[in-house]
Amino acid sequence: MKKIFIVLIPLFSSIIALAQDRDTTKKSPDRQLKEVKVRDKHIDIRKQEESLNVEIVTPAFIQRNLGGSLMKTLERLPGIKTIGIGSGQSKPLIRGLGFNRVVVVDKGVKHEGQQWGADHGLEIDQFAVGEVELLKGAASFVYGSDAIGGAIDIKPAALPAPNTFGGSVDLTGKTNNNLYGTSLNLYGRKQHWFFDTRATYQDYGDYRVPTDRVYVYDYVVNLHNNQLRNTAGKELNLHLGTGYVDERFRSIFYLSNTFSKSGFFANAHGLEPRRVDEVLHDRSSRDILLPSQEVNHFKILNHTEYQLPGQRLELEAGFQHNFRQEFSQYVNHGYMPPVYPSDLQIPIDLEREFDKRVYSLNLRDHISLGRHELKVGANLEHQDNKIYGWSFLVPAFKQTTAGAFAYDKYKLSETVLLHAALRYDYGRINMFAYQDWFNSTVTTDGVSTVEKLTRAENLLRTFNSVVWSAGLNYNPEGSFSLRANLGKSFRMPIAKELGANGVNYHYFSYERGNTQLSPEQSYQADLSVAWTTDRWSVQLSPFFNYFPNYIYLNPTSAHDYFYGAGNQVFQYAQSKVNRYGGELQLKYKIFEQLSTEVLGEYLHARQLSGDKEGYTLPFSPPASALFNLTWSPKIKGSLQNSYLSVDYRITAAQNNIVPPEKKTPGYNVVNLQAGSKLMAGKQPLIISLQAQNLLNTRYLNHTSFYRLIELPEAGRNIILSLKVPFQFKTNQ
Amino acid sequence: MRNPFIYLSMIALLLVGACKKDSTQEIDTEYPVIDISSTGAFPKQCSTVKRGEKFTFRAQLSDNTTLGSVSVDIHHNFDHHTHSTEVESCTMDVVKTPVKPFLLIQSYPIPVGLANFEVQQEITIPADVDAGDYHFMIRLTDKEGWQTIKGLSIKVI
Repeated sequence: MKKIFIVLIPLFSSIIALAQDRDTTKKSPDRQLKEVKVRDKHIDIRKQEESLNVEIVTPAFIQRNLGGSLMKTLERLPGIKTIGIGSGQSKPLIRGLGFNRVVVVDKGVKHEGQQWGADHGLEIDQFAVGEVELLKGAASFVYGSDAIGGAIDIKPAALPAPNTFGGSVDLTGKTNNNLYGTSLNLYGRKQHWFFDTRATYQDYGDYRVPTDRVYVYDYVVNLHNNQLRNTAGKELNLHLGTGYVDERFRSIFYLSNTFSKSGFFANAHGLEPRRVDEVLHDRSSRDILLPSQEVNHFKILNHTEYQLPGQRLELEAGFQHNFRQEFSQYVNHGYMPPVYPSDLQIPIDLEREFDKRVYSLNLRDHISLGRHELKVGANLEHQDNKIYGWSFLVPAFKQTTAGAFAYDKYKLSETVLLHAALRYDYGRINMFAYQDWFNSTVTTDGVSTVEKLTRAENLLRTFNSVVWSAGLNYNPEGSFSLRANLGKSFRMPIAKELGANGVNYHYFSYERGNTQLSPEQSYQADLSVAWTTDRWSVQLSPFFNYFPNYIYLNPTSAHDYFYGAGNQVFQYAQSKVNRYGGELQLKYKIFEQLSTEVLGEYLHARQLSGDKEGYTLPFSPPASALFNLTWSPKIKGSLQNSYLSVDYRITAAQNNIVPPEKKTPGYNVVNLQAGSKLMAGKQPLIISLQAQNLLNTRYLNHTSFYRLIELPEAGRNIILSLKVPFQFKTNQ
Repeated sequence: MRNPFIYLSMIALLLVGACKKDSTQEIDTEYPVIDISSTGAFPKQCSTVKRGEKFTFRAQLSDNTTLGSVSVDIHHNFDHHTHSTEVESCTMDVVKTPVKPFLLIQSYPIPVGLANFEVQQEITIPADVDAGDYHFMIRLTDKEGWQTIKGLSIKVI
């Protein structure tokens, strides 16, 4: 078999990137099998040459484990969790770090949304992604500010093969929230020019939980048909990729627009219990009433690369427009007027609006110099953020960041690779003053006056940072391999941390920024040891991480009735933090067709200084282990790639908490996956079936947005996906 | 087959690590308590207060370590948008538009270092405010920043 690989690798490696799933449809089964193995090999090679902990996910994995959103799908991987709200929105959490501590890169350009909000999902269409690379650890040296926890690098879908014209239809249905969705792909390529289009539409109703009653504090909320009122949603995503490709030069434009509209659970907004018209809400499980959110993310990117002898130049330029609106009934919290003023221009139900425009430019040069593989590059980004709505959380701001890096991969010997990287970043944030549109009562020495409070002042801050990384890969002959990395990462404080001085009424919190915050720094050591034989594979990846100045929203014991309208003061502060943990992956092939897998993860975080000394960090996922059994029968006839697989996940209780969290009991969940590729005549059909939460277990997820109001996670969900690839013209 | 044992023992170590209790330092994870169950406590869910008169807000506050501060917020609920935190529902007036609703946002000091405290504060309802359904919100923190919220439905007549 090894010889076949040696022959196939050079042959296929050039077209792997081009081929992937697409050109398999018309080939003999024999050849397809080999191709699958080759593709795995390219992932193995990537892993062997990366000193950070890296996981690579293929579109087939996404099809097999399709969740409510891309991040929910990836949650099966050890060390990856999500902060989710509802059934369609979630954001990544890598080893317990999320929000602005994880970078999401889409087609080479940093994806910029409103990452700071726990109820804000990631605006990515999971049907449109190619491979996804998950880097755990100090990744700032490549990705710049924010890549403290790691990076999620979403590659574009593979290019169509030359002289092809085809596409695919995806159909998805889910029983829990009555989702129906479709994604239609159409692509074509002559020798050098290609296009690749996709449209995805999903529509879902309120999701069901395994209970007919939930409690918001002591207030009983009866659920109609076990449905969480008003958690329905829909999304529409459009994509176009087009460009020119030849052996030396390629330039591709990617145009996309993702739109989603979804409701929030109506009986509580944040932590605030809401009285709702149940008859109105329960009339339909698909309508989206208040409160709700609408997010539109538009993107235009260009990726150009040019191959010269011994070096490859890459350029990415992009524009993104993230437009987010949050709608809610007007409720006069604090000193807000009891009746919404008729002369106020802001629509009465527009609570918050964020309008972000981002311009990005990346340059990279890959240089091969003997045993050195050098990568030098620069990133430039400019953001323009505007706000609107009757509620204030974050001021408007402009932000410019620039960074330059050099990264050297040195082949010391056939078995040892050394890595070293150095990066410099400059950042500048310019925040704009905000004044309340209503009067607050101010009492000084017993005299009450009214005034419009200034919530944020004009502020200009600049930041400089030098980060570095050093690593090693040791891949001796045989079954053992080792990766080690030590690195420093950083993150610029965001506008909310620096300048917020507003009340988050739904959380009864008055959030006070700190203009003096310094850039957050993090030192991380990563180790990964793996042992692979034909039947066994074991990988253990421990890490240790230290922050001298983790930025943290600290709930204090004080109430503020001037700026805070009687709410608890949450003050941004910095503290020393220690984190350690790791993941374990164990695979064992019991028989040729039966294999088992164990995925384990553990994380511990602890604040070493400040007001919350001794406490953990918020949203720390509890330890968990996933036990899998997969049967991959080789069936003669028209069924190929068949599998039946059971996941049993045991999650420990999380008792290590920090205000305002609650202890979360442990739970066990069973998921089933089954699928096959069958031929209906000459037409292949790829069918995937899943049963998530098969036993309809009632449990709470510690990192869910709805955890604080004790909303259980979704009950049993049967997911059926069908993929129908088609080709009008092939390259044969 | 020496290697598998090394790995298995590493796994075992990881699992032991995962199960180990964090015993290095006791941290406080308990919320403070607002107790309005005693006969002297006021207001309670569905209590009534009169315009132009004083009443005494009285509740027993406690924490396993040290209390922080207490804040009271009385606001109208004429539109029925928000709900109390309590089990019992009260009879509500019809939805109406506020004209001059009563609003009180006030913090009351708790002497430093106490684990138990009975708050007693006189609150005056002006004679000229709108009668109707109100919420009486009590927010209590402890020293560590845990906050307990109680939102009571009251009627101003």
